Amino acid sequence: MSPQWAEFSGKIKALFHKRSMDSEMAEELELHRVMMWEKLLRQGVSETQAEQAVARRFGNSGRWHERLREVRQFRGLENLLRDMQFSARLLRKSPGFTAVAVITLALGIGANTAIFSLINALLYKSLAAPNAQQLAVIGYIQGNGQPEYDFPYPYFQKLDARKDMFQSVFAFDSKVMQVKSAESNENVPGQLVSGEFFEALGTAPLTGRYLTPADDVEGGSPTGFAVVISEGFWTKWFHRGPEAIGSKLVIANVPFTIVGVMPKSFVGADPTQRPEIFVPLNADAIIAAPHNNIADGMHAWWLTVMAQMKPGDTLAHVNAGLESVSKAIQLASATDPELRHDAETQPFRFVAEPGSGGFAYARFVFRKPLMTMFAMCVGILVLACVNLASLLMARSAARERELATRLALGASRKRLVQQLLSESAMIALLGTLAGIALVPLVGLGLNSLAISDHSGNDHVQLAIGTDWRLLAFTAAVAMVATILIGLIPALQSTSGDLNQQIKTGQHAAQPRERKKLLPRVLMTFEVGLALVLVVGAGLLATSLVKLFHSGLGFDPQHLESISFRMDKQQLDGDALMRVYQQIGDGISHQPGVVSSSFQFIVPISGPGWNGRYNSPGGKPEILWLNAVGPKYFETMRIPIFQGREFTWNDTKASGMKITLNASAAKLLFGDRNPIGETVVASHDKTMYQVVAVVGDAKYRNPRKPAPAAAYVPLAQGDEEKPSYSAVVRVRGSAVPVAQAARELAAKYAPTIPAPVMLSMDDVINNTLFAERMLAWLSVFFAVCALLVTAIGLYGTLSYATARRTSEIGIRMALGAKRGRVVSLVFRENVVVAVTGAVAGLIAALLATKALASFLYETSPHDPWILSAAIAILICVASAASLLPAIRAARIEPITAIRYE
Amino acid sequence: MFREEQPETGDLIQGTLEMLVLKALLRGPLHGYAVAEWIHETSQQLLKVEEGALYPALHRLELRGFLESRWGLSENNRRAKYYELTAEGTKRLNAESQRWTRLSAAVAFVLQAS
Repeated sequence: MSPQWAEFSGKIKALFHKRSMDSEMAEELELHRVMMWEKLLRQGVSETQAEQAVARRFGNSGRWHERLREVRQFRGLENLLRDMQFSARLLRKSPGFTAVAVITLALGIGANTAIFSLINALLYKSLAAPNAQQLAVIGYIQGNGQPEYDFPYPYFQKLDARKDMFQSVFAFDSKVMQVKSAESNENVPGQLVSGEFFEALGTAPLTGRYLTPADDVEGGSPTGFAVVISEGFWTKWFHRGPEAIGSKLVIANVPFTIVGVMPKSFVGADPTQRPEIFVPLNADAIIAAPHNNIADGMHAWWLTVMAQMKPGDTLAHVNAGLESVSKAIQLASATDPELRHDAETQPFRFVAEPGSGGFAYARFVFRKPLMTMFAMCVGILVLACVNLASLLMARSAARERELATRLALGASRKRLVQQLLSESAMIALLGTLAGIALVPLVGLGLNSLAISDHSGNDHVQLAIGTDWRLLAFTAAVAMVATILIGLIPALQSTSGDLNQQIKTGQHAAQPRERKKLLPRVLMTFEVGLALVLVVGAGLLATSLVKLFHSGLGFDPQHLESISFRMDKQQLDGDALMRVYQQIGDGISHQPGVVSSSFQFIVPISGPGWNGRYNSPGGKPEILWLNAVGPKYFETMRIPIFQGREFTWNDTKASGMKITLNASAAKLLFGDRNPIGETVVASHDKTMYQVVAVVGDAKYRNPRKPAPAAAYVPLAQGDEEKPSYSAVVRVRGSAVPVAQAARELAAKYAPTIPAPVMLSMDDVINNTLFAERMLAWLSVFFAVCALLVTAIGLYGTLSYATARRTSEIGIRMALGAKRGRVVSLVFRENVVVAVTGAVAGLIAALLATKALASFLYETSPHDPWILSAAIAILICVASAASLLPAIRAARIEPITAIRYE
Repeated sequence: MFREEQPETGDLIQGTLEMLVLKALLRGPLHGYAVAEWIHETSQQLLKVEEGALYPALHRLELRGFLESRWGLSENNRRAKYYELTAEGTKRLNAESQRWTRLSAAVAFVLQAS
């Protein structure tokens, strides 16, 4: 055993045997005294003289004792424990202060941790796959733009052929698949994956095997395609029975053979998806039917491509390799003249990016809003810290005399600062614990806002868990908080002239020291910061309100959209139209249905359909299209300016018809009356006759003005086996309508999955998710900021006033009116609030520019919002300052100056 | 900006005292008083060991495993804490005394230089 280790373990033992050790020490020292005394006696000294000599020699035995004890103590630790006990006592003595301090800090830390965990889950967390660190996301840059990530099959195929550059290249695409259950078809989230997908990720299957390149060939194996299922799907559909392996699963009306089950931890390469079935990429013709993305070649941009790098390879090296082959691959893939022209004239290259976290489209949507929220959270945390610092400062100012006395009695400044710091460390500890306890709550709140991406239907799923990164982050936040909070007041209150402090304390004759400047600067800073947060919240909330009230061009309230997926059933053309008509008639006869129709594109939900159209002789213009049923405009409450609704009789045979919105009519025909005119589709020269002009309505993006749009009858859409959604305007509850729609679908189209109903309000909420989240959180943070600032202003002023009790007493004794006293105290904070507001206003003008991209029809410098924010802040500050001022005016002069 | 509370005893003095204590115990177990007496006598009354330094030194050596202690009876029939050298302690004593010899020889050289 080394001496250091022996010493350490000895000290640990000493912690538990304090009492017996103390008595042994006393006995040992006693023996020494006795021996010395006896020796003196032997030398012939008288008893009393010997007694005195020994006492002189030993002096204060307590001191020796203490020094002996120190040998076996962890000095730092024991001091720390003592400081902690002392701090705990002090904090218990002022529960109000403690509660405020802990709550503000918990709020700051809790919000930061929650947002950071969200950011971490979405942006930084690695995939739970063994080979995650070797993965790279492949993108391409066309022209000089941003990288894009949607690949056509030929690019993937040619990259895959370059075996020299990578360990392997794989591609996948998330799709909702129709799986046949006992009753009917069900929608199940799945993924099409290329042959090397599983091997590249490296996760072992729970049972059976995963898909290999041998499974991913045209037509699959002689027995058809193989499929791998998730553990969740295995549990739900097979009750974890071993017979699942080898059995058939009918997907999109074609039997697939189950070959393996993947463990729960495996979610594929997109961390925001939860696919339950994995089918080979070559099964696309079945899954996407009646489309075929592989056969569409360079016209279908649908795959996410990733690669597993060779062991020890670097991204820089991979990128250099990709650069050298990019042009050749592009040229070899360019099958038609238009593509060839692009390939010859425009720069093009593939890029590899870090892929340990997989690929998620949601990242591009949510990165900026999340970072903005994070900035707001940091603002709140700084606010909480500044607030605590000023409160602690005010408090230790009130304890000045006590601290000065302790300094005078010989306590070192280091010990006092240590003691004061331990107090703030304690607050930080409590605050952090409370904050961490808050995290799941905030996380729950965020989850309940149901993140959804642009396609509207796919919910982004995130595993928001606590991991080491998160814990380290929280701990770091707490440390910074402690140091910030504790250091300033601790250093300040232990500096300066002892004599002065002992003499003055809370007495009247205080000089106006420079020291008082710092708390005021901090409070000014706090007010400014709060103003920035309030202005930000005001802007975001105003923008959100404007978005909702901007007039979409249709009325989304009480409007339901019910989607029918017809792509995998047998009927097409007129026969399919008859099915829609029967379902539509059925729905419109339900009680509670005001009117109903069908549409191809659900507005605001994400998907779009556009094309170039021209008037005869005019130049082609881009129009956004939709195929809609009879009574559509009535159901949507889009005004018809001229002409008529479509009817079921507008079929392909009856001549092509089109309805323009006002913008499109103006674009194509200027001021001429468009009714009866002809519109020509630029690509195939189909002629359409204009039958109506309707009001403008928002199409894909509610943040942008309504585009020029056109509507064609349901039967004249250009999709094979089109999947339309019923739009239903209801009165009262929509639940019976959903039930009826399911029954109608089961009756007229028994093989399709149960139709999915979504209210238009939900569609809009989903699309505006980022805006809603930002607005709600910013309002929440602004309220917190106001609260914290009010508490800070109130607290510091109360302490300051308490210190001036005698001064105020004397003033009143000399005849000062109560009103004068109120204004005297109140004035202190007015200066702080006004300076803070001005500083905050300048900061807000600069900072809100960052918000500009989130704002809809709202200027980041909107004068109304700015002045409203200042007004609110001044009101809150006044309210917080009035209380201490009124209390000061109630001071009884006699009591106040009794102590002078 | 901070001032230390208690200046520690100088390393040399503390180290030397520890060496003397180890030496005193080389001949067999002794209690604290006897250690002080032995050093006092052996140094021909030149070195006087302060109690305030002796006992912390004894306890520190014990804590680090150079000494062991047990309770026994003193010559005047009182309970006394006897200290005894461990193998580690003997090793330490050898190392320390060698260092001391070298050091004092070196100091002597310097002082004798003309």
